[in-house]
Amino acid sequence: MNFELSQDHKVLQESVRDFVNKEIKPIAMQIDEEHMIPDTLVRKMGDMGFLGSYLPEEYGGAGLDMLSYAIVVEEVSKACGSSGVLISAHTSLACGPIHTFGTEEQKKKWLPALNSGDIIGCFLLTEPDAGSDAGAIATTYRREGDEFVVNGAKIFITNGGYRGTGVLFATHDKSLKHKGVSAFIIDLRSHGVEILKNEKKLGIRGSYTTAFALDNVRIPAENLLGQEGQGFKIAMDTLNGGRIGIASQALGIAEGAFERALAYSKERKQFGAPICDLQAIQFKLADMWARIETSKLMTYKAACLKDAKRNYTMESAMCKMLASEAATYVAREAIQIHGGYGFICDYEVERMYRDAKITEIYEGTNEVQRVVISKLLLS
Amino acid sequence: MKILVCIKQVPDMESRFKPAASGVWYDESDLAWRMNEYDEYAVEQAVQLREQLGEGCELTVLSIGPDRVGEAIKKALAMGCDRGVHVQDDAAATKDPWQIAAIIAAYAKDQGYDLIFTGMQSQDRGSAQVGVTVAEDLGYACATTLVGFAYDNGTVTAKRELEGGIKGVVKLTTPALVTCQLGLNVPRYPTLPNIMKAKKKEIQAIAVAELLKEEPLAATVSFHPPAKKGGGIVLEGEVGALVDQLMGILKEKTTVLR
Repeated sequence: MNFELSQDHKVLQESVRDFVNKEIKPIAMQIDEEHMIPDTLVRKMGDMGFLGSYLPEEYGGAGLDMLSYAIVVEEVSKACGSSGVLISAHTSLACGPIHTFGTEEQKKKWLPALNSGDIIGCFLLTEPDAGSDAGAIATTYRREGDEFVVNGAKIFITNGGYRGTGVLFATHDKSLKHKGVSAFIIDLRSHGVEILKNEKKLGIRGSYTTAFALDNVRIPAENLLGQEGQGFKIAMDTLNGGRIGIASQALGIAEGAFERALAYSKERKQFGAPICDLQAIQFKLADMWARIETSKLMTYKAACLKDAKRNYTMESAMCKMLASEAATYVAREAIQIHGGYGFICDYEVERMYRDAKITEIYEGTNEVQRVVISKLLLS
Repeated sequence: MKILVCIKQVPDMESRFKPAASGVWYDESDLAWRMNEYDEYAVEQAVQLREQLGEGCELTVLSIGPDRVGEAIKKALAMGCDRGVHVQDDAAATKDPWQIAAIIAAYAKDQGYDLIFTGMQSQDRGSAQVGVTVAEDLGYACATTLVGFAYDNGTVTAKRELEGGIKGVVKLTTPALVTCQLGLNVPRYPTLPNIMKAKKKEIQAIAVAELLKEEPLAATVSFHPPAKKGGGIVLEGEVGALVDQLMGILKEKTTVLR
């Protein structure tokens, strides 16, 4: 076994890190306060290739592998969890399923603009009454000539506020549950698509979390993704890969909080010495670091398994669970090490704590991850 | 037109350096490595010239060192160099600037480079000798510490940084070598698509023994951190006695009182 990154991955890591330190880190606080990632930054991330890292070059992607993608999301999230999830939801949840399940025509039509970052993608599955129980969605579609007509509501849609391209899930017969679900590629500027609101949230405030009403939205028949009735499979397969992105985001948040806590523990003096001389602080740092390293190993392993085209369902569930729980733990302890200053917005660890929490919830709650893991163990 | 840019991989300058057991260089274990900052300016300027000249121009990046310097070469390729040359040498750190320059000159002498870019100096050894020595070895015109660069039809116009903020402009006819200083340009970030493209570019490996025929002219005899400053003296006691003590110290250890 070799746990070293390849030279190519190290070059990528250093390049992303340099970009993040100069272009994202200085404005991370502003992104949180203004509840928005500046368009200029989205553009720059697109120019860097962050928005199509593992998609093939023939569709405008960078043609790199899943491990490269994980490193990009991780490095970005060290500075800004909102920017990290923009990349993750866009790449894993919009570009990913179009590439995996789309026809050649669909890939050529939709992917280049997504991979360049000209259009931001999202994934419209969740509804007010269908979260973890994704088979229970109530948004309906019916065929009319060479179009599908969609009606319903979608909530908690990451990146929805950009009104770009979405992968939408709807059922033609709710009584069929998950067997009635189909997936569509939707232009969110279509007639009948209405943004009800962009949610105010505890964390990842720079990321749009959007509620949509879909009122007789007409989608061309050619936008059906995969076969009719294949939607639930597409959703599950997509989320499987998406978890590597969320694990990477959580890992980055944890590392960002740890870096600050470690530095602060060396600077802050109490009782005449830096607080890192106190065993109480040393033990915290040890526990934080061990959880970060564990999460990193599992996240990179899941990415490598996907690159090797091997089954990675178990590992993607475990890395998402481990990294998200590491993120909330590490960020909380980072605040504790900072003492009262940690509670103050200027010190940034409080933002990381807020940003970390969602990683235990979205793209499958950690309870769902435990279901996935235990089912595989017992099957 | 053929261009060569020479780069060095150095430790991240935020590393904690400690002397190696040899006592003449730093311990290389557990360090993070990056391209020497001044060499990044050199690569950026070479790539800009490559873009200015377009087809028919070939830009080669060269580095000397162990396997890990492949990372720096790959970065330069991702920034826009066409091909890489890795002079493999696990003991590059023990060689003096004369030998390093001799290696580069031995490689470059039959290649017909019109222009060679190097950093002004390395961030670790900081001798600032390699670039100028290569120019001398090859009989090239040379200008150092560039903060401005223009090229037109065989002539380089170089803006140089002098002491006290004064700038000088020199013109050189190719073949020429220039060394690059902070302020020359802002190096680009390698983009992900370019990192991917760089994977397909050739990196030629050459054993150092094939190129190096020179003995060192200078030897490092010691490498050590500055001596620790002594702790301050805290005077305690009644004011009158404190004043006497202070006067005594000032007389004994300084020229303030005689």
